Amino acid sequence: MRDSGRLFAGIAIFFGLVGVVYWVLADEPAGAAFLIFTGGLGFLIAFYLLFTAKRVEPLPEDDQEGELADAAGQYGFFSPHSWWPLPLGFGAAMIALGLAFVAWWMILLGAALLVFATAGLLFEYYRGEFVRN
Amino acid sequence: MISSHSTGRRPHRLAAAGLVGVVLVVVTGCSTQDIPAQLGIPDPVTDSGRTIWSLWQGTWVALWIVGAFTWALMLGAAVVYRRRRADEIPTQTRYNIPIEVLYTITPLIVIAVLTFFTWRDEAAITRVSDDQDLTVNVVGYQWNWGFNYVDDQVYDAGTPTDLATLYLPVNEKVLFELTSPDVIHSFWVPSFLFKLDVVPGRTNRFEVTPDTEGTFVGRCAEMCGTYHSQMLFYVKVVPRAEYDAHMAELTALGQTGQLDTGRTSDEAQNQGNTRLGGQQ
Amino acid sequence: MTILDEPVTGAAPESPAPRPMTKGQIVVSWLTSTDHKVIGNLYFITSFGFFLVAGVMALIIRAELTDPGMQFVSLEQYNQLFTMHGTIMLFLFATPLFSGFANAIMPLQIGSPDVAFPRLNMLAYWLFLFGGLIVTASLLTPGGAAAFGWTAYAPLNDAVRSPGVGADLWLVGLTLGGLGTILGAVNFITTIVGMRAPGMTMFRMPLFSWNILLTSVLVLMAFPPLAAALIVLEVDRQFGSLVFAPDVGGAILWQHLFWFFGHPEVYILALPFFGIISEILPVFSRKPIFGYKGLVFATISIAALSVAVWAHHMFVTGAVLLPFFAFMTMLIAIPTGVKFFNWIGTMWGGSLTFETPMLFSIGFLVTFLFGGLTGIILASPPLDFHVSDSYFVVAHFHYTVFGTVVFLMFAGFYFWWPKLTGKRLDERLGQIHFWLLFIGFQTTFLIQHWLGVKGMPRRYGDYFADDGFTFMNQVSTVGAVLLAVSTVVYLYNVWITAKRGVRVGVDDPWGWGRSLEWATSCPPPRHNFTSIPRIRSDSPAFDLHHPEISGLEQAGGNLLADPTAELGQTIASDATSDKEG
Repeated sequence: MRDSGRLFAGIAIFFGLVGVVYWVLADEPAGAAFLIFTGGLGFLIAFYLLFTAKRVEPLPEDDQEGELADAAGQYGFFSPHSWWPLPLGFGAAMIALGLAFVAWWMILLGAALLVFATAGLLFEYYRGEFVRN
Repeated sequence: MISSHSTGRRPHRLAAAGLVGVVLVVVTGCSTQDIPAQLGIPDPVTDSGRTIWSLWQGTWVALWIVGAFTWALMLGAAVVYRRRRADEIPTQTRYNIPIEVLYTITPLIVIAVLTFFTWRDEAAITRVSDDQDLTVNVVGYQWNWGFNYVDDQVYDAGTPTDLATLYLPVNEKVLFELTSPDVIHSFWVPSFLFKLDVVPGRTNRFEVTPDTEGTFVGRCAEMCGTYHSQMLFYVKVVPRAEYDAHMAELTALGQTGQLDTGRTSDEAQNQGNTRLGGQQ
Repeated sequence: MTILDEPVTGAAPESPAPRPMTKGQIVVSWLTSTDHKVIGNLYFITSFGFFLVAGVMALIIRAELTDPGMQFVSLEQYNQLFTMHGTIMLFLFATPLFSGFANAIMPLQIGSPDVAFPRLNMLAYWLFLFGGLIVTASLLTPGGAAAFGWTAYAPLNDAVRSPGVGADLWLVGLTLGGLGTILGAVNFITTIVGMRAPGMTMFRMPLFSWNILLTSVLVLMAFPPLAAALIVLEVDRQFGSLVFAPDVGGAILWQHLFWFFGHPEVYILALPFFGIISEILPVFSRKPIFGYKGLVFATISIAALSVAVWAHHMFVTGAVLLPFFAFMTMLIAIPTGVKFFNWIGTMWGGSLTFETPMLFSIGFLVTFLFGGLTGIILASPPLDFHVSDSYFVVAHFHYTVFGTVVFLMFAGFYFWWPKLTGKRLDERLGQIHFWLLFIGFQTTFLIQHWLGVKGMPRRYGDYFADDGFTFMNQVSTVGAVLLAVSTVVYLYNVWITAKRGVRVGVDDPWGWGRSLEWATSCPPPRHNFTSIPRIRSDSPAFDLHHPEISGLEQAGGNLLADPTAELGQTIASDATSDKEG
């Protein structure tokens, strides 16, 4: 995690520098804004990764002598299959189409479907048989 | 158990010799005049066109050398190192720091040289002074060109079926001001080896001295709508006398005054062009 | 000693034979899939379908340009054709193809059971599909599709000069697809940062996965400005705002926004495929990749620089700082050169065979080199003043993009087909496919350099008989026909392999695979591995299958996490028989 954090830190520094150089030399606001905010993007991710890397134990994947046994136990939960991405995507598509035709009813229907499907997706593994008491 | 590539030595030398041979042939067999690297570039007819032409030639010489070398390396490797026995296992080289440093530094040097010549020539070509002999305002509109002869206060305009012709006196420095009332077009005269966009909301300027008489085609080079490919024009470089005669002809036709340049306001057009690549 | 000699008893654990699924069940399993391998296949099939559609458009374009005068389509239709050809090729073929390869291969290479967010993965696919269908549906509207070029410059793109809903569908469809691409990139970065197998440090990760990581970072940097530009333009068109109005500098503002996306986009297209060749060359040279660290740092440099050069597409607008962008653009040649020499260094001193993946890889090297050289011409503003917006640029970007994406897509397909499907594509048909493609490509695009330098602008649907462009255009059209034939050969290969192909049955049919995907079955089980070998280098599968070469024996380490686990093949080697776990 520290190595990837450093990658993003490098991005943050590079674009911060290039952004300032461009701002001074070209005096062109769009490009200067792009470059500096791109540096900001790198900084955001770098900060999270480096900060977290300091707080957690070295991970098995960053250990040169890492053994498979180090990652033993439940690795995580992987959804086996799910219907919810489809209506979510469809809702987003309805909003987009509604915007192209300026059809407010389509935008509203799409937004409703989007919200419904988002809730469905988020709560899919907390409902029904997955309810924990 | 590991049988290394025992015939390693000879293919190395053979391949190296082949490479050097190819490079030498390429370099010594060409003069700048007849290199196929010209790629059909038109003969330049202006001062800045000649500057561009020599940079084009010089750059292509460098590029063909780099290309020949690299193609020779990759195709040479494919021939020389093809598998000869099914159980061959070559030396598992993972890196070679001196070579890697060499082929990082060498392109850096090539690029530094190209950058120097690029910066030098672009400064010369984009320079706009204030001692031009005449000024022409080119107005690009959907879908042909208008030419405002600012000093003579006459104009000419074209349509896709009746193409506009721009007259220029030979060996005189011309200031071009490019404007558009609608969308972006591009003023390209291939024989000038130069183009510059007409952008609504800004005035672009360049100066050039045509030094060869003749009639040269021009084409719009920025997608501008349905009849983009019909937006042609001609540039006629003529002796001063003939130019003056043409101005008189336009006056006689009643085309006095100036076409609407398409500039929306003085502020907009002034604000738009303070950053001409840093020249103005 | 090589595993090809060993018959295989099967990698999967014993289980009763499952009942074959009905067609409906298969469809449902694909619609609800959260398996990165299935989603990868969906991306492959859909993006290749769009490739064929855009390819047909290219054939119509080439047919129209064969002779002066309009023979097949009107000028307006021609403008729609090249707009949609570019849009579909870049946004609906090549960019989703990156998601396809990333999905199909990357989790296998890093030893993870799936991606970090499997349902988000599927959502990203739906956004791509629906966005792509919306964009393509614009062809069916009464006003036709968008006709302003894939670059959609302002103010040509406004409601007055491009009326008709086709342009609006183009804008919203691409926004949807772009959102899908961004979500996919988030998924890939999270997976690579957080789900590598133990021992798989960043500098042991295969180069393909490195390139996926860097491409995804580029997507995060480039697609949001595009989405912003598209949405703002749509609002300008529908609700009358004036962000891109020419009086306030909107024409140049659009170009800055578009190209800040547009230049990284071409590196988003290229980098995954640079990763593919870095995987293929070692396998068919029997050597590790040369200069692994150099390649990693070169790729990082290319990615970073690519975001800082966008205005080299704007040299002729008169509105950009020429020296800055010329220099930054020329700088990219250096890490690109480093990569080239590293690839050649991998071949150098190796033991090469020329199966189809290797043929396509060498075809890429030959082709892309020329594209890179013409790129240096374009990087120099004095030279760009002449050739910008001409067929020279069309030739350049086809050499670079087609050279990278198409050649290496096929290289990747032929290479990984056995891994993904269990069957190898036919080798002889593959060779015929390659040569038709290579000759067809060079015939189509090499001559376009001359055409552009001579004076033919791009996006011209017609030219005059006395322009002197006719012969060159005719040569180019002949090449295009060859390209079409090559694609038919490929499709036949796919079909005949599905019908009559033989299952490879081993984990590593090529024999010299290095990365982790070659240490699991062909195709892999649902969560990719039944066991993972110990990872102690950048070539874990190679270390497992060729321990005598990998040298780790000397170091005294043991490669199998659990030597009693089933692997699918045994290693018959005197050197390892007396090692114990």
